[in-house]
Amino acid sequence: MLPIMSLLKLEDVHVHVEQKEVVKGVNLKVERGEVHVLLGPNGSGKSTLLRAIMGLPGYGVTRGKILFEGRDLDSLKPYERARLGIALMHQNPKPISVKLQQVIEELCKRYGAPQDLVQKLGVNGLMDRELFKGFSGGEIKRVELALTILQKPKLAMLDEPDSGVDLGNLRLVGDAINSLANEGASILLVTHTGVIADYLNKVDFTHVIVDGRIVASGELNEMLNLIREKGYQAFMRWTS
Amino acid sequence: MSLAEELARGGAIFYVQRNYEIVRQVIAKSLIEKGVVLEPLSSAVKKGWVDKLLWTVLPAREIEPKGAFVYIPPYVKVQAPVSFCFTVDKGSQSVHNVLVIGEGSEVTVTSVCSSAGDGKEHKGYTEVFLGKRAKLDYVMVHSWAKDTRVEAELGVIVDSEAVMNELYVSLRSPYELRGNARFILRKKASLSASTIYLATLGRALLETGVTIESENSSAEVTSRVVAAKGSIVRQPILLEAKAPNTKGHVECKGLQLSHDSVIETIPSLRSAHGGAQLTHEAAIGKISEEELAYLTSKGFTEDEAVTLLVRGFLELGIKGLPESLKPQITSILDLLARAATG
Ligand SMILES: Nc1ncnc2c1ncn2[C@@H]1O[C@H](COP(=O)(O)OP(=O)(O)O)[C@@H](O)[C@H]1O
Ligand SMILES: [Mg+2]
Repeated sequence: MLPIMSLLKLEDVHVHVEQKEVVKGVNLKVERGEVHVLLGPNGSGKSTLLRAIMGLPGYGVTRGKILFEGRDLDSLKPYERARLGIALMHQNPKPISVKLQQVIEELCKRYGAPQDLVQKLGVNGLMDRELFKGFSGGEIKRVELALTILQKPKLAMLDEPDSGVDLGNLRLVGDAINSLANEGASILLVTHTGVIADYLNKVDFTHVIVDGRIVASGELNEMLNLIREKGYQAFMRWTS
Repeated sequence: MSLAEELARGGAIFYVQRNYEIVRQVIAKSLIEKGVVLEPLSSAVKKGWVDKLLWTVLPAREIEPKGAFVYIPPYVKVQAPVSFCFTVDKGSQSVHNVLVIGEGSEVTVTSVCSSAGDGKEHKGYTEVFLGKRAKLDYVMVHSWAKDTRVEAELGVIVDSEAVMNELYVSLRSPYELRGNARFILRKKASLSASTIYLATLGRALLETGVTIESENSSAEVTSRVVAAKGSIVRQPILLEAKAPNTKGHVECKGLQLSHDSVIETIPSLRSAHGGAQLTHEAAIGKISEEELAYLTSKGFTEDEAVTLLVRGFLELGIKGLPESLKPQITSILDLLARAATG
């Protein structure tokens, strides 16, 4: 009998960016259908970790392993990882000189998703625009989340879906993440404020990352309370 | 030619010329009843007033009047497009077309020029007289065999309060092309002229000249040039205003897909009257690594991502065309993007 593989397993993952070690030995398991929240201060390596899992150029794993459904991702290009079912909602995507409509059509074709899957995120009015060009903060987040959803991912990595989003839109974004989880996708969600947490139906695990290391894991409210009371410094003693 | 047929499908007027032979010449009966005329220019010039129009917008050439003549009387709305198709597959072909669109009329024209086989040379000269308050959407599509030499000129008079949207698309570049489009704008006239040129070989000179002669007129000139495989594209654009309260903008962008290609863009503005507001922006670049990385992270291979970016680059250069032409433009863009990266 085959052992049951974790959807995502990180084993002592180290990532260098521009010759500087940014992720310093992360271990993490994400099972099917689980929602994980990754909390950490600015610059702690949250985005770097997600980018390394996606395999973006410049974010090479220098030690350790990333396994997806038991398969080592090391030799796979980003597009191959995407096709295995990994999607990254970029934190701050820059303008892409293609109309949104075109990108959505191509994604729907590739992943067989119906376009109205993202109806609720209210992206229709932006279809004829150049992707992300001149978009407001909230529009960027809604559109980037919509594109992530259209990939019908097994693992959705969401990099700060809540930053720069006003209250009304937070509800939309939260609902969209909830339906994604309902469909069975696993979620690895990065936030440095934790505001999105109030809108999520469930969070299975919360991890705190400081200076490139996961320094604590546990229940969401417990972690948030600790951070709110004592700040991320509370975890600093674990590092160095 | 499937593209030509697609563009011509359901057309109100259909004119096909192969070398010097008129292969088809069709005009809807309802249009004839409204006084619309389609005939060979050679017979149209027997009317004195037509003869007087020849070579009044373009510099005169010593060629036979072999081409099409279309006349649309005032206040006629032609719903379906007027389609022209010129092919050269043997020796050389010279074409002279004249379009006269009456006051307050509206029409869409698509014109496809192509070469095949032993077509060595195509020379096409089209003169358009757009009457007061008339509206013309004009799409010109080129597709050339590599051994053809091409000279293509378009001259348009946009009379008072008339509106012209022009799009020139080149699907396959020949070894040598000289294109020249010139527009003269009268009072309160409006022009949007777009060029989409995909160069996969040869050298091309794409000249555009817009003269705003009278007040309250506006012009927008947009171009997108994609150069690959050792091609050379030179593109001088002159926007000239001779009257107050006029507005003009030139936007040209070049995208280089290979190291051995050359793009030279020369936008120039000339104002011969205070009170004109003229601007230009020009940029030449390559495919952005950052955009590529973003798209490949969404599951597109590098080739697919480049195709998408080329398509987007071209599409964002098309302005002001009617919804009705959208399906055709979409298939043209798909074709272009594949050809650029194929
Ligand atoms: N492309 C990059 N070039 C240089 N430094 C980078 C790059 N990406 C990340 N870093 C550095 O790595 C560290 C972690 O960044 P990041 O992963 O973006 O943090 P977080 O997402 O937790 O705010 C920071 O010091 C940042 O400056
Ligand atoms: Mg970040």
